Amino acid sequence: MATEATPTTPPAPKKKRLFGLGCLAVVIIALLILGTWGVGQYNSLVSLDQKVRSQWAQVENAYQRRADLIPNLVETVKGAAGFEQQTYIAVAEARAKVGQVRLDESLLNNSEAFAKFQAAQDELGSAISRLLVAVENYPDLKATQNFRDLQVQLEGTENRITVERQRFNESAQAFNTKRMSFPTVLFAGFFGSRFAEKAYFKAQTGAETAPKVKF
Amino acid sequence: MRSFRAGVTALILLVGSGLSFAGAADLKIPPSPGRWVTDTAGFLSPGTTQTLDARLEAYAQQTGHQVIVYIGKSTEGYPIEEFAVKAFQAWAVGRKGLDDGVALFIMAEDRAVRVEVGYGLESVIPDITAGRIINDILIPKVRAGDADGAVSDAVSAILGAISGEAVPETPKPGKNTGQAILIIFGIIVFLIIFITNPSLALWLLINILGSGGGGGRRGSGSGGFGGWGRGDGGGGFSGGGGRSGGGGASGRW
Repeated sequence: MATEATPTTPPAPKKKRLFGLGCLAVVIIALLILGTWGVGQYNSLVSLDQKVRSQWAQVENAYQRRADLIPNLVETVKGAAGFEQQTYIAVAEARAKVGQVRLDESLLNNSEAFAKFQAAQDELGSAISRLLVAVENYPDLKATQNFRDLQVQLEGTENRITVERQRFNESAQAFNTKRMSFPTVLFAGFFGSRFAEKAYFKAQTGAETAPKVKF
Repeated sequence: MRSFRAGVTALILLVGSGLSFAGAADLKIPPSPGRWVTDTAGFLSPGTTQTLDARLEAYAQQTGHQVIVYIGKSTEGYPIEEFAVKAFQAWAVGRKGLDDGVALFIMAEDRAVRVEVGYGLESVIPDITAGRIINDILIPKVRAGDADGAVSDAVSAILGAISGEAVPETPKPGKNTGQAILIIFGIIVFLIIFITNPSLALWLLINILGSGGGGGRRGSGSGGFGGWGRGDGGGGFSGGGGRSGGGGASGRW
């Protein structure tokens, strides 16, 4: 304020000041552009992240649907005379194990926990298909309407799991591609685990494909 | 350095998974058939194809539900379930936002049949119902050599199952006027900000445009072409829905 008031200020510093102001403006504009870019990157990461989470909910639904069918399945085969106990006990045990693996969204960023979850679900899937194979030896049981309905439901559930898992992988891939692409990868690191990479479902080893039964 | 290496490994993994996804996309989905009933395998008699097509078209005009029949030769080794869910999505069967379509797929040479139910009708046609339609109605008649009767009866059963529920309204008009009011309101607010605080307004504008681009990408991801499938005068079906989570049932004869 005081320096500005002095009338003896020569014209050269005034120019300098103008130059300084210009520089400041350029810096501010650059920051503004950078900020806008950052906000855009952040928002698109958030939107892709949300898509992965909602798809994860669909995967959970499909798995839950299968878990809910187990008690009915076990009850139905128990009733058949002389049915191999160990097959349905194995299913019940695998079902219990699946219940112990706690599902929450932190699973998505933790590939170890994710693999554990997948292993438990895969085990349940293969226990179910072993049981369905065992049922082949019991034509009376196979022919009951109750069992046929159950079988259709199980097949439908396995198919839903396959579909939703595939869609989950697609949305996780979209997120990871964006997150790992060049300019974004620098930016995403600032947020620590907020934008950690998503885990994928591994290809099925054949144990979990929908059980097919020829009529 | 370590994080760089981790980045490179992740990139390699990503490329690897990308390749495996590309491999899964080898299954060829034919372009949208347009008609309600399509028979590329000569499975049905021409008369039945026409009758059924007209019936399903009329049904869609009355109720809005799109029920289509597609008969092909083979899925070339891919599971019919995979073909069904992808074709359903690609053809966008059902109305947008309601996903209230049903597709009956038959692969004549594979001797395989699949009923694919959109998300919107899963409560009306649960897997058990779809399974009974296939196992108790369609397959016995196909085995007996009556393909026309099998498909006609299966379609009747599907329509019967849907008719048990109330027809949902097309969510078009209310939503549109609501959106228009919101947009006008937004413009007015923006103008007020622009007059009182131009720099803030500019910042907002840049931001909205930035996120708008992202939104556009999100929209195209959900797939399907526009249109409301309200039977546009004599034409084939035009969908907009297409989301199905693998609901329905399949069978082989």
